[in-house]
Amino acid sequence: MQEYIIRRILYTLLTLFGVATILFFIFRIMPGDPTAQVISPALDPVAQARLKEAYGLDKPLLVQYFLYLKNLVVFDWGRSFTSSQPVIDIMAYRFWNTIFLMGAAMCFVLVAGTGLGMVMAWRRGGPLDTGGTVTALVFQSAPPFVTGLLLLMVLSYRMDLFPTGGMHAAGVSIGKGLSVFLSVDFLHHLVLPTITVALYYLATPMLIMRDSMLEVMGSDFIELAKAKGLAPHVVMIKHAARNALMAVVTVSSLMVGFAIGGQVLVETVFSWPGMGQLMVEAAQSHDYPVAQATFLVLAAIVIFLNLLADISYCYLDPRITMGKTRA
Amino acid sequence: MNGHSYRPHSFTWAVVILVAVTFLILPGSALSEKKPGGKVDPMQITTATATFDPVRPEAARVIATAFQAIGWDVTPNPIDYNQNVQKVIMEHDYDMWLVMLSGASLRIDPNVFIYKKHFSGEYKKGGWNWEGLNDTGIDELAVGQQKEMDVEKRKKIVNDAQVLIQQDQSMSVLAYVEMTNAYRSDRIKNVVPMMGEGIGSFWTDINMEVVQGDGYVRTGATSPLKNLNPVAAKDHLEFMELRMIYDRLFRINPEGVAQPWAAESYKIVDPTTIELTLRKGMKFHDGVEVTAEDVKFSLDYQTKWKAPFFVESLNNIESVETTGKYGVRIKLKEPYAPFIPNLLGAIFIIPQHIWKDIPEKADVSDPMNFANEKPIGSGPFKFDYWDRGRELKVTAFKEHFSAPKCAGIIRIAYGSHDAMAAAIEKGECDRTRYILKPSLLLDLQKVKNVVAEGYPNHGFYTLSYHTRRPPLDDPAFRRAVDYLIPRELMIEAILSGFGEPGGSVIAPANKFWHNPVVKAHSEDVAKAKQILKDAGYTWDGDGKLHYPK
Repeated sequence: MQEYIIRRILYTLLTLFGVATILFFIFRIMPGDPTAQVISPALDPVAQARLKEAYGLDKPLLVQYFLYLKNLVVFDWGRSFTSSQPVIDIMAYRFWNTIFLMGAAMCFVLVAGTGLGMVMAWRRGGPLDTGGTVTALVFQSAPPFVTGLLLLMVLSYRMDLFPTGGMHAAGVSIGKGLSVFLSVDFLHHLVLPTITVALYYLATPMLIMRDSMLEVMGSDFIELAKAKGLAPHVVMIKHAARNALMAVVTVSSLMVGFAIGGQVLVETVFSWPGMGQLMVEAAQSHDYPVAQATFLVLAAIVIFLNLLADISYCYLDPRITMGKTRA
Repeated sequence: MNGHSYRPHSFTWAVVILVAVTFLILPGSALSEKKPGGKVDPMQITTATATFDPVRPEAARVIATAFQAIGWDVTPNPIDYNQNVQKVIMEHDYDMWLVMLSGASLRIDPNVFIYKKHFSGEYKKGGWNWEGLNDTGIDELAVGQQKEMDVEKRKKIVNDAQVLIQQDQSMSVLAYVEMTNAYRSDRIKNVVPMMGEGIGSFWTDINMEVVQGDGYVRTGATSPLKNLNPVAAKDHLEFMELRMIYDRLFRINPEGVAQPWAAESYKIVDPTTIELTLRKGMKFHDGVEVTAEDVKFSLDYQTKWKAPFFVESLNNIESVETTGKYGVRIKLKEPYAPFIPNLLGAIFIIPQHIWKDIPEKADVSDPMNFANEKPIGSGPFKFDYWDRGRELKVTAFKEHFSAPKCAGIIRIAYGSHDAMAAAIEKGECDRTRYILKPSLLLDLQKVKNVVAEGYPNHGFYTLSYHTRRPPLDDPAFRRAVDYLIPRELMIEAILSGFGEPGGSVIAPANKFWHNPVVKAHSEDVAKAKQILKDAGYTWDGDGKLHYPK
């Protein structure tokens, strides 16, 4: 078991190294040049050389690459080309903004999704099952920015219940860190984007939970539990749902990973200053340090959550034992 | 996974887009060759994508269609804007380029459009004469106006140059685009529009009054602010914010003339010597007085560290010396007429007591990498906070000699033009900083208490011809195709009417420098064909254009 975990961690590090390398080169292959953005006097050859020097782009590519790897190891992400700020500062701020939004949405999605999925399977073919499936699939198939725009149109522009976007009203201080959740203004701004994201992701855990439940419900031990005369809700929750959760765990960990990468379009529609927006801005303006760091963090999160899902299997399902024959 | 495979979203998409972009480097059309009597080769109009600016690909399509009227195959080629700049300005690998030369205040002085855009020596990597025009007549006038320190004499040369430039037609001015802006008339009054900036101008910043609310003006922009380092700033949008916090020796007034600002008065002693006297009693936001030493330091420092936006103009300086506590004498290497508006009217005064320790004390090796988290200047607004990616707040500096009438300004970044328009409609945003999409302006015009208008601009959409590629190397050919451009149609259909047909490179909005003799050509296919016929071009049985024999 330990050996397995260590091996998995090593693989993870290797994958990350690969991703880091690809990212380094892919942004530099991208046509265009970080020093040539807008038609300004800064396009003068002297100014260009000056910018290249300041960005460290005057060094040979391989030297840049090794410096980049070296700095990665010590978590030095460098400074943004466009804002001169340390990348870590920019990212920390944007990262938490996305986490706030996605965290709120994911909590809702996971709780509501598994709960609904469980009940839907239990009452298979009932109105909740059919209605829920259709609704969830509609929202999953609709691009989230369409859902977002519709919500904005109806609830914000027409009915004036919610603000048009942003994290807080202009000039209002909402505090730092988790205390933002104590700010009414922030929560007010959080509602619409959260609903948008939640509606989009709801189908995933819900339908997987439903399918998984149906499979489990066909098993002998459920019949046995019923035969023992246990109350139906006890069988549903304690026996069926617990076993069905496995599949949801795998998929959810991946889903959360991607969600943290940000819903670029949702963030754009709601002017939410998160990671997704940052990635787009950085890629567009050829801000290599920021682009590399954002994509790498995203990749790291997905890879790490994958690892976590794998390892959590060992604990969730006692039948899975690694490297040992079953006793 | 029970038949449900998870569809990865953002990350995969990002990678797919990256890869797609990598492979989308459309090969520039092969260098055309002039073959006497041969068919004129098809060409492409390079331009930006609709995501960057919906006007450009549409305009390119309309023009490409119009060019087919003479039997010449032209196709639009919208690609990523960054790549436009790279291909055209850095590599000169293009046929025609449809671009907007926006009305930055630096472009009010005629030097940019006359000299930089047309002088043969500016056909170089990063140079502005990407058309490659090489005309001795224009070269002489371009250099002449740059060295003429007498304004009236210079004006005459600039007038002559405009005539010659239209004849040579290395670029067709398509339309002067109005600055489409909007503001809440129930919240602010006394906006002062300025050419090329509309109501987002500095003069609006300091003159507008808040009728209702906490005194702060919520100003909307469609992109987040990037940088607050006055030495590292590279584009106009950064300067629009920085200039509130940092002061300048001169400011370009709403009429486009450089007026003394932090400099109380100035004297051109001889064509290469300028003497300035500073206002007395000016203070930086930390209370330290602004003196001639700070001015000398600012110019020397930015010369030493080659501030990218100014490095070219700074190269004209021979020396800067102080003459007393408030006097500065600047010696130029040679006469340079745009020096006052384009350098002294643009570069910022930075406090010596702070910047003398940069970069050393800021833990960076280069002031370009200094984030300047808490900017301190001597401008009419002092920095309050900058909530990255979202908003910048500045507060009126009451001790300034021209203190603002509002309590301050909050600059808000919106995710899109649509989001900004909605915020104005709902009253969350008081005014636009820069352009709002014309189509949205039409909607906002119907909203109560919102003023949504187009304001004059000296910037314009233009079609650049690569004059070193046949048939575009022939001035007669360029003159002919200029008559094919459906300017009125483009303005009505694509700019929602917010524009004026383009003629001279110096716009009519720039009243002082514009030559009224140079007018926009209206669409006239017969005339275009006549010019081509006179120049010896022929058509084959399919109606395709052929070079002169």
